[in-house]
Amino acid sequence: MKVGLRMARRAVVLACAGASMWALAAGATRAQEIVIALGSEPTTLDPQIRQDGGERAVNDNIYEALIFRTPKGELVPGLAAEMPRLLDPTTWQFRLRAGVKFHNGEPFTADAVVASIARMLDPAVRSENLSYFSTLVRAEKVDDLTVNVVTKAPDSVFLSRMYWLKIIPPQHARSPGFATQPVGTGPYRLVEWVRGERVVLAANPDYWGAKPGVQRVTYRFVSEIGTRLSGLLAREFDIISNLQPEYVKRAPKIGRVPALEVPVVIPNAISGVTADARVRLALNLAVDKKAIAEKLFGGFASVSDGQFISATWFGHDPTINAYPYDPAKARALLKEAGAGGAAIELVGTAGRWLKDRETVEAIAAYWQAVGLKVDVKILEFDGYLKRLFDRQSRPQAIYVSHANPLLHADRTLSDYYHEKGRGSSNKDAELAALIERARSETDPAKQAEIYHMVMKRAHEQAYFVTLVGIDVLYGLSQRMDWTPGVDGKFLAKDMKVTR
Amino acid sequence: MSAGFLLRRLGHGIVVVLGVTIVVFIVTRMVGDPVRVMLPIDASDEQRQAFAHHLGLDRPLPAQFADFFAKLARFDFGESLWQRRPAIDIVLERLPATLELVLVGMALALLLAIPLGVIAALRPGRGWDRATVSLSLLGLSLPQFWLGLLLIILFAVEWGLLPTSGRGTPGHLILPALTLALPATGRLAMIARSSMIDELNQPYVQTAIAKGLPLRRVVGLHALRNAANPVLTLAGWELIRSLAGYAVVVETVFAWPGLGYVAIQAIQRQDLVLLQTVVFVVAIMVVAINLAMDLVYKAIDPRIQLE
Amino acid sequence: MAMTKSTAGTLAHAAPLHGRPHELFNALRGIARELRADKLGAFGTMILLVLVIVAIAAPALAPYDPAAQSLADRLLPPAWLAGGSPAHWLGTDHLGRDVLSRTIHGARVSLLVGVAVVALAGTFGTVLGLVAGYFGGRADTIIMRAVDIQVAFPALLLALIILTVVKPTPGTLVIVLAANGWMVYARLVRGVVLSSRQSLYVEAAEIVGCRPLRVIFRHVLPNLTSPLVTLATLEFARIVLAEAALSFLGLGVQPPATSWGLDVAAGKNYIFDAWWLVTVPGTAIALTVLSINLVASWIRIATDPRERQKRFARGAAVSEMGA
Repeated sequence: MKVGLRMARRAVVLACAGASMWALAAGATRAQEIVIALGSEPTTLDPQIRQDGGERAVNDNIYEALIFRTPKGELVPGLAAEMPRLLDPTTWQFRLRAGVKFHNGEPFTADAVVASIARMLDPAVRSENLSYFSTLVRAEKVDDLTVNVVTKAPDSVFLSRMYWLKIIPPQHARSPGFATQPVGTGPYRLVEWVRGERVVLAANPDYWGAKPGVQRVTYRFVSEIGTRLSGLLAREFDIISNLQPEYVKRAPKIGRVPALEVPVVIPNAISGVTADARVRLALNLAVDKKAIAEKLFGGFASVSDGQFISATWFGHDPTINAYPYDPAKARALLKEAGAGGAAIELVGTAGRWLKDRETVEAIAAYWQAVGLKVDVKILEFDGYLKRLFDRQSRPQAIYVSHANPLLHADRTLSDYYHEKGRGSSNKDAELAALIERARSETDPAKQAEIYHMVMKRAHEQAYFVTLVGIDVLYGLSQRMDWTPGVDGKFLAKDMKVTR
Repeated sequence: MSAGFLLRRLGHGIVVVLGVTIVVFIVTRMVGDPVRVMLPIDASDEQRQAFAHHLGLDRPLPAQFADFFAKLARFDFGESLWQRRPAIDIVLERLPATLELVLVGMALALLLAIPLGVIAALRPGRGWDRATVSLSLLGLSLPQFWLGLLLIILFAVEWGLLPTSGRGTPGHLILPALTLALPATGRLAMIARSSMIDELNQPYVQTAIAKGLPLRRVVGLHALRNAANPVLTLAGWELIRSLAGYAVVVETVFAWPGLGYVAIQAIQRQDLVLLQTVVFVVAIMVVAINLAMDLVYKAIDPRIQLE
Repeated sequence: MAMTKSTAGTLAHAAPLHGRPHELFNALRGIARELRADKLGAFGTMILLVLVIVAIAAPALAPYDPAAQSLADRLLPPAWLAGGSPAHWLGTDHLGRDVLSRTIHGARVSLLVGVAVVALAGTFGTVLGLVAGYFGGRADTIIMRAVDIQVAFPALLLALIILTVVKPTPGTLVIVLAANGWMVYARLVRGVVLSSRQSLYVEAAEIVGCRPLRVIFRHVLPNLTSPLVTLATLEFARIVLAEAALSFLGLGVQPPATSWGLDVAAGKNYIFDAWWLVTVPGTAIALTVLSINLVASWIRIATDPRERQKRFARGAAVSEMGA
């Protein structure tokens, strides 16, 4: 029997070796070819329909927009030859880059811009991204390389919207295979999409811009972070998405996008004990934000400076400081407001955002430490959303986490600062008036000024219990050289492989 | 084998599929509100209503039920909420991966289990037999999700011999197939051993041995053939259980893009349309395997009287 | 199922006890003798006994509340490793919870769910099997057709759907698993009833005019005991695995409750930094299931004369020839 066992062992080793040679031959780790492991597969490669992180991670390399964002966050001309001019308060004129072609040979002209906006706004298309473009009316062709885009009202977020709008080829977009055969103007074109297994992109040899270094990009889809990490350690993957802070020391290298996700607690400023601004300030002072950033997020989060927007978003006021951690003062304030030992309901959910439950529990513990009685309600996401958007009776305190792909304060302000916002808990008409004024102010400098007034007022009134900005982390293999930009997009043209 | 028998079995299969369908319908319509979970957090109320209408969730239950069956009859399972394309397309795309995993896994289990069991049966109570029994018991006691993780750590991360996850090359198949096969191997080896011992103690085997026929021929020709029946019965069971259960776990651990993995993803995204399509297709396959097993028995052992 | 009182092994003798002390003593001595003969069986029995004690006394044995978090003590390794703390023998998990305490409480969940499912499915299946086997006719046809149909259901997938829609609690978990498990008992019981009805003493009892219930309880059930115990034990092992698998997939026991499967799922994201998080609960599951299986195989060997033969006979003629 011993002989048999030995032979069996030898056979296993041989079989494994053979199979791994095959895997190598299949081209997992060759130079200038990289493998990116995402948490979810794209549901479609139509660039307009879904809100889908997997789709964006692929299509951001295939399609381009009129406006680009530099890694530092500035908006610059992309497919537009220069920044657009404002003809009148609601009409923007773009000059387009000449000589650009889609991967299938279709020329990039004003028709493509007109078609892209028309399709996005078409109710029959049922785009989930429509809310980003609800201010647009239409695009009009002036000549082949000039196009006017008309908005309903003066639109201060227009440039950010144009950065989010991918330009599609007018002919090919009408073909039934558009959702599986993406054709853009970008630095990469689709080689194959084997559903469930992989998407492969190759560098576009006719790209109008700087030629990318990485020649071939393969996307794999692995929903478990532990399994993605195993693949990174086994050198199957070069980049893995959504690395959690705990695993950072395991990953050979990391990429870090600061404060992309901003969690916050919204206290009810309309009724109950939290209607008193002193109580809301006390709730802020009671929480040790630094400890949450260090312990809960392993240092990969930064203390929010008293605003419910991230420092990388337009509208952020750098002169406002974070609420300090001062439990003694919090106690004093509560006593002064006659709310010492008051009961507070804190609503949260579990499993939707990074460490959502843990964050809520940590906050509850801090509030308890200053003498409040905290009733933590961790609800199913379904029930949680009902509470979050209940306009009739606001929850006394509710946790929410917010990311803003346009990196612009407008959306956050409309939803959570404005008294009529979907998730706001204040009745501050003055604040609402400021927000509305900012929305129609098209001079960026003046607009920023108004936003800063909004931020200062909300900070004084402590409408939010501000916490931390959470970094988005990527795990990188030793040979990868990549610093993700502020928007966290997977742009393969910015990546390099070192040997 | 009469046509009547086949028809009866087929009718039986249809009853099973109908039963599964009804259970699935009743269960899925008890869910709270798929609309709210499916749409992005900042969708408007109009969007939610339009979405519910689009799914037909705003209609009375009996109307939904009638609609459900009418569409099923046309093999129309509806559009996956998550992927926004026909759910049946997704299921059919994933089906080959699951079949590959399950069939290779079961073939592996049989290839390992039969020699192990037969050799053990030749000398019951001796070392090889005891080792087989102990290893089999150990194998069938290991939780598959844990076994899979251990194999990933050892073969993929520590030794770098095999890929950690996904599908594409034969190398990708080895670890998931092994994980699926090992517990089944334990159970199959035990049965193979047990029925082989029974056969070897039958008078005809003893007579053949007494007559001086070489052991190999006796074992190969007669005993093995007769001992095959319980092994095949169990193998059929293992196949069904793998397809309708174990594969879900193994595929999840190895990110193997099959039906089980897509079922778990559908659950995470509350995509009941896709989930019920997976269950329906698996039910049809289970029925088909049962039918095939009946036919195989009949072919192998003419003594069996079916019904 | 040719099992009668006279041929079955010692366990079968032990089963229809009538309370006389020397019989009980003899039976216990028989069990002890069987266990000495089967070292693996003895090992399994011991482990299982320890597990039961641990599960019952969990709150007293566990050093900490299994749900108590401590962010300062996250991911501590077991006490004997560098960086370990004697306060946490088996280390702590990603939320600073004590692994030993969680494992001890996990035994509770696993065994409780297992016992409850076996009791529920076993009772239901046995009753239906008795009805089908004893009364025959239409009842038999209907019950056995239901068994046939349900056996062909894709059981685990259906369980997944149900547990997605009705929120998983230990209660729903037990019901779902039992609903998928009663059929085997019904089949087994029906088979034994059919064969024992043909035996002389049952026929005699019926001729004498015993009422059906009396016949079932006095004459049929005793024959069922040992195959039922064997089946229930095997099913118990299967259920423990199934509960762990469902919890692993996130559709079984939900946090903040504990379960071994749940802990492996949570720990799998830390397999490189904190191997003990999957190893400890994983080993607990494997050891539990293994010991249950060892006990089951011992019961089967001890009570089934044909199995005894397989263990002790050296394959008479075959071994003389040499392989």
